[in-house]
Amino acid sequence: MDAAYNLARWLTRNDHDAQDVVQEAMVRAFRFSEGLRGEARPWLLAIVRHACFTWLKSNRPGDLASLEDAGFEPAADADGPEALAARELDRRLLNEAISALPPHFREVLVLRELEDLSYKDIARIIDAPIGTVMSRLARARRLLADSMRVITRAARPKVHE
Amino acid sequence: MKHEDARNLLHAYVDGELDAATALELEAALAADPMLRDAHERLRAMSAAIREKGDYHAAPAALGRRIAASLPRPEAPMPTRRWWIPAGAFAVAALLAVGLAFLNASEMADEVFASHARTVLGGQMMQVASSDQHTVKPWLSARLPYSPPVADFAAEGFPLLGARLDYVQKRPVAVLVYGRRKHTIEAFVWPGEARARELARDGLNLRSFSRGGMTWWLVSDVSAAELDELARRLGGA
Repeated sequence: MDAAYNLARWLTRNDHDAQDVVQEAMVRAFRFSEGLRGEARPWLLAIVRHACFTWLKSNRPGDLASLEDAGFEPAADADGPEALAARELDRRLLNEAISALPPHFREVLVLRELEDLSYKDIARIIDAPIGTVMSRLARARRLLADSMRVITRAARPKVHE
Repeated sequence: MKHEDARNLLHAYVDGELDAATALELEAALAADPMLRDAHERLRAMSAAIREKGDYHAAPAALGRRIAASLPRPEAPMPTRRWWIPAGAFAVAALLAVGLAFLNASEMADEVFASHARTVLGGQMMQVASSDQHTVKPWLSARLPYSPPVADFAAEGFPLLGARLDYVQKRPVAVLVYGRRKHTIEAFVWPGEARARELARDGLNLRSFSRGGMTWWLVSDVSAAELDELARRLGGA
């Protein structure tokens, strides 16, 4: 239940819509519970995730456009030395940076790091091959490292120049 | 192992997703490549920072109550995070096992009436037309998650004509079709318990009762007394 809300909250980026999406998804999950195969959690999260993307499509189409956007290809050396600063990075800035990632990268990061799910479970939830999970996660971390570097530089311009 | 290949595998390594052989290979590469070690260290720091500082949004208590209220089983407790997996699996299994028992009875009556009306108005009443219970029962059992009781009462004036599948409350259910003179009686049956009900609407009569773990709904335009007679044959007092 918390996992469902956490995912929806990260994808919709606000409490009110996350609650609506989760409620709708849970009711649907119970109604179609014969679709359940194997473990309940990935199955349920897949439904919640689907509901989130449906919501994004009609309410935040701009968020979704960014997946195909080549502009999101991270710089080659994105995880340069500055990325280490993630450790000292301010909690608020880190969360903002995750929140700013395109949803397809944000979700794998949330499912992996905050829900501690395996690649296999994540693959099931986002309905993609494990290889896609792996490459999305790698890109998500590079993108995050990239934006950390920008944030760190902005915060301490004199140190770096 | 090439540096670039190793770089790409680092993510899976940090996530504990590499198979043992590849992990050993990567560890050998790490020992030999200081740049790779740096990258590994950064990646671990990044992962640790997200786990430590990333916001985990626990569901507000009100959301659990809202969802519980909108589920077909209002008395189902909303599981909390720790026991969500077993509780979720249990709730789903319980729903499957108990079937339709807890669903709103009047909604169900509406659906049974509607379904009967549709078939009478020209829908296909029977998908398997046979008075032989040894033909009808396996046909139904093969298509449903349960095995409904099937009996012929031709000697008592209620010949078994056949059966079909229908959809009630979003679940497939068995419908046995019995004849009564020129009329037909449809008997919807599924696993579960329900209290006995008698309804009459638009010239149709409806009876529901439970027997031997199965819930029956009979609907027909025959008289209430004849419906009761078939109900008795099927086991409903």
